[in-house]
Amino acid sequence: MSEEKRKVLEMLSQGKITVDEAEKLLAAIGEPDNEAVSSTGGKRQWKYLRVVVDPGPGSESKDKVNIRIPFKLIRAGLKFAAFIPREYQGQIDEALKEKGMNVDLSKITPEDLEEIVSNLDDMTVEVDGEDKVRVFCE
Amino acid sequence: MLPFWLRLRVCKPGRRGFRLWFPVILIWIILGALLIALFPLVLLAALITWRNGSGRFLLFLYPMLAAVLWNLSGLHIEAKDDENDVLIDFA
Repeated sequence: MSEEKRKVLEMLSQGKITVDEAEKLLAAIGEPDNEAVSSTGGKRQWKYLRVVVDPGPGSESKDKVNIRIPFKLIRAGLKFAAFIPREYQGQIDEALKEKGMNVDLSKITPEDLEEIVSNLDDMTVEVDGEDKVRVFCE
Repeated sequence: MLPFWLRLRVCKPGRRGFRLWFPVILIWIILGALLIALFPLVLLAALITWRNGSGRFLLFLYPMLAAVLWNLSGLHIEAKDDENDVLIDFA
C-alpha cells in the first residue's frame, strides 16, 4: 500500500474526512496523469527543455536567462548534425578539442543521439551558487 | 507547426529599444519559393558530389531544414544583464 493511500485511510479512521472524500482522494491517488503519460511504455513525454538562470540572494549581478527549447527541435537539429560530411566533421572535432571537449562526432550514431534526447527528460539540474541555475524539462 | 510570429526585443534595461512583432510566416513563404526554385540545382549538386559525401547532405537538406523550421514554434530565448535585454520568441 502506498504512503498516500495509508494517510488517507488514517484520516478516515480518525474521522477527519468522510467516506466520500476518502473515495475521491483514493481515486485521485490511483489515477495516472493522463496528459503526461504517453503511449510509449508509460514514460512522460516532456515538450520543452528549460534553462533558467536567476541571480542568487547574494549576487551583485542581475543577469537573467530564460531559455525554452522544444524537444522536437533538438531532435531535428541533431539529425541535421548527423548528416555533416566527413571532411567537415574533422574540422568540427578539432574545434571542439580546442574548447576542451574530446568528442569524435563520426562515432556518434543517430541512435545514440536519440537515446540521449529520450533520456534527457530524466534530467533535472539545480545549482545554487552566486547565481541559481536550473535545467529541467516541462 | 510552423511558427507564425516572431517576437524580438533588443534594448537596454529601462529603455524602449527595438521591439518587433513580425509575421515570420512571410519569411517561410519566400524561403519556400526560393527552395523550390533552387531544387533542380541542389539535386544536380548532390549527384555531382555524391561520392565525397556532400551529396548525401545536400539530398537530405530539404527535409531536415523543413523539420527544424517546423519545430521552431515554442522556442523562447531571453537574456538580460545590466547592459542588454534580448528576447527571441517564436510563437
